[in-house]
Amino acid sequence: MSPAPAGRIRVAVTGLGIVSSLAADREATWSAMLAGRDGLGPLTGLDLPLEPAQIAGEVPLAAARHQTRCEAMALRALEEALDGLAPAGDPRRIGVFQGAGTSGLPAAEAYLAALLAGRSHPATEAASQSPCRVTDALARRLGARGPRATVMNACSSSLLALGQAWERIAAGELDLAVAGGAETLCIATYAGFSSLKAVDAARCRPFSRDRGGLNLGEGAVQILLEPLDRARARGAVILAEVLGYGASMDAHHPTAPHPEGEGAARALAMALRTAGLDAAEVDLVSAHATATPANDGAECKAIRRALGSAADRVSVTSSKSQFGHTLGAAGAFGAATAVLALRDQVVSPTLRLAEPDPECDLDCTPLAARERTLRAALVNAFAFGGNNVSLALHRWDGR
Amino acid sequence: MSRDLVLTGLGLVLPCGDGIDAARASLRSGAPCFAELPESLGRGRGAACADFAPAGIIPPMQLRRLDRCSRFAWGAAHQAFADAGLDPRPLGERIAVAVGTLTGGSEATEGFLRPYLQRGPEGASPMLFPNSVANAASGHLAQAFGLKGPSATFLEWECATFAALEQAARWLRTGMAEAALVLGTDGLFPLLLEIARGARLLARHGDPVAGSGRGFLPGEGAQAFLLETRDHAEARGARIRATLGDLAGVPALANDPAARAGALGEAAAAALGGAVPDRWIGGSSGSPRLDPSESALRRAHPDWPEPVHPKLLWGEFAGAGGPLLAAALLEPAARVLVTSPGSFGPQYAARFEGVRL
Repeated sequence: MSPAPAGRIRVAVTGLGIVSSLAADREATWSAMLAGRDGLGPLTGLDLPLEPAQIAGEVPLAAARHQTRCEAMALRALEEALDGLAPAGDPRRIGVFQGAGTSGLPAAEAYLAALLAGRSHPATEAASQSPCRVTDALARRLGARGPRATVMNACSSSLLALGQAWERIAAGELDLAVAGGAETLCIATYAGFSSLKAVDAARCRPFSRDRGGLNLGEGAVQILLEPLDRARARGAVILAEVLGYGASMDAHHPTAPHPEGEGAARALAMALRTAGLDAAEVDLVSAHATATPANDGAECKAIRRALGSAADRVSVTSSKSQFGHTLGAAGAFGAATAVLALRDQVVSPTLRLAEPDPECDLDCTPLAARERTLRAALVNAFAFGGNNVSLALHRWDGR
Repeated sequence: MSRDLVLTGLGLVLPCGDGIDAARASLRSGAPCFAELPESLGRGRGAACADFAPAGIIPPMQLRRLDRCSRFAWGAAHQAFADAGLDPRPLGERIAVAVGTLTGGSEATEGFLRPYLQRGPEGASPMLFPNSVANAASGHLAQAFGLKGPSATFLEWECATFAALEQAARWLRTGMAEAALVLGTDGLFPLLLEIARGARLLARHGDPVAGSGRGFLPGEGAQAFLLETRDHAEARGARIRATLGDLAGVPALANDPAARAGALGEAAAAALGGAVPDRWIGGSSGSPRLDPSESALRRAHPDWPEPVHPKLLWGEFAGAGGPLLAAALLEPAARVLVTSPGSFGPQYAARFEGVRL
């Protein structure tokens, strides 16, 4: 790893909260991932009996009145990330960056359903349901008066939000940032991916020869970022270091990735450049890996293009085999997986990878967790519209 | 090396017509563009881009696949690149796209959901679903113009395009891109009108009036801004329309008028840095949540010029702050202040210097 460019502040991950379909907190989620437990189960939260797929990664968490499930999950994840920390100092130097998910879309769905059925339904709830509400709720909880952003880049949203938080702290503009995403299941996304024939009626199998599509999931991840020096000064537990990010567009197709992973490879290469990392230092890729036939092969090609021969030594993993695809929150789930892997020096498994696709010719950590030395990690999130993001993380080794 | 950022291209699709001349004439005339909307866009009055003419710009095959946001964005981007004299394709990997929207993806979501809720999976259209994400426009633009740099789409209530401009400026200053296409884009659709009316947000009697608190009327359109580093613009001999000064977004801590007004005042002060503007573009729309903040700012600064309010002509939404930024570039001025109050979240202000035609 090259020294950070002059003037750039080093950025530490000092908090992490997870609400997932495996468990309602970070350590229980991580233990379950390492044990190879599956967070996918029968679809119960949506009543869509005519859909061929009836599987999802559901979170059994109810929202309070006038609160969306996204807000409820995001706030719970934030409390875990804070771990009792009461943000102090100048509130104008605390920022909140969120990758938007479906957020209040269920309220709009309910309003439209009532309209079509000729029933009256209050419009005020639907009118105030912007994805920005999650960001605003987190900022209120923190008393933050610094910058806030709600990114809506589909499935790369929350990883880009993490990149934004990193660049603000690295530039010396913030003392604390919360970044992440929250996603809830809703009719539009479930039916939408189904209409594209992208949903597998069985449990998803990333990187497998017989992979048949994704399963949808929900949950929230919130990550606390601070200047490294500040974190050390207050004696914070440092989970990992964020080194930078890259972003690119495919300019290829509205929904399908570039078949050779061209755009994705540019995002990975930009992340390496920004981070000052050599490809040979990367030991882990927390992959986008949706288990759709088009994505996983193209992503493996992108990793090869970006890392070259170093790709043969890298461990790749897909958290979507545990949680399903959490859409706007997926990048943050991938980042959380990588942060914990770097902390504990163990790679979580890709479930149900019994027969790897020859096109996915990397070590995709089949079936069981693996302990190994992990120095740096890349996290990938790719999205509709050919929006690619890659985030670079490094193990915190006390230096 | 200069870290200045300059605007070298402007493209506009607005209810008053396409292009800079139509927008300038509309602002000078002060005539609102509101009319009864066609049923396909919603029930009630609004400012639709009825004269938008994509023929010759968007190929017919593609046109059918695009939602209104993406169509308008494509038209505005086409104009902006032409205005800047820049062929984007050779520079594609170094051009970023940052989009602000309030309604992006929602038109397609409604279009997808209506038949699905009525007929189940057999009513679901796989053609509509890809446009149901707010970043659909950026993906279409990437394909249309060969743009391969970083991309982000922002939601920030009425101010999203300010957030997009801020991110684009950051990418240019950190060297992640050489040029950035910044867009505001919004399209009207029936459910939007239903919800806004049901929530009593719309003006019910006549056109909206700033400060009246009687509600706004919705609009649609797209505004495209080509932002470059001054070095890059000068190296290619580009005409510079304006220099981007400071831009500030200040969140209100409490959800009340005084907190929003205070935050907007702070944002304006940060954007101006103590200077006095010689032109002021404001975001009042008739909304009781937005207008009081600007009224307070006017009272506090009697030495500032009277604000121009584009939303009273072109409607609310209409590019989530983009029309305000565009209006700042339509008349020559030494220093223009643009204020954009928001219903919730950050209140934004931006300053442009040396605006030239």
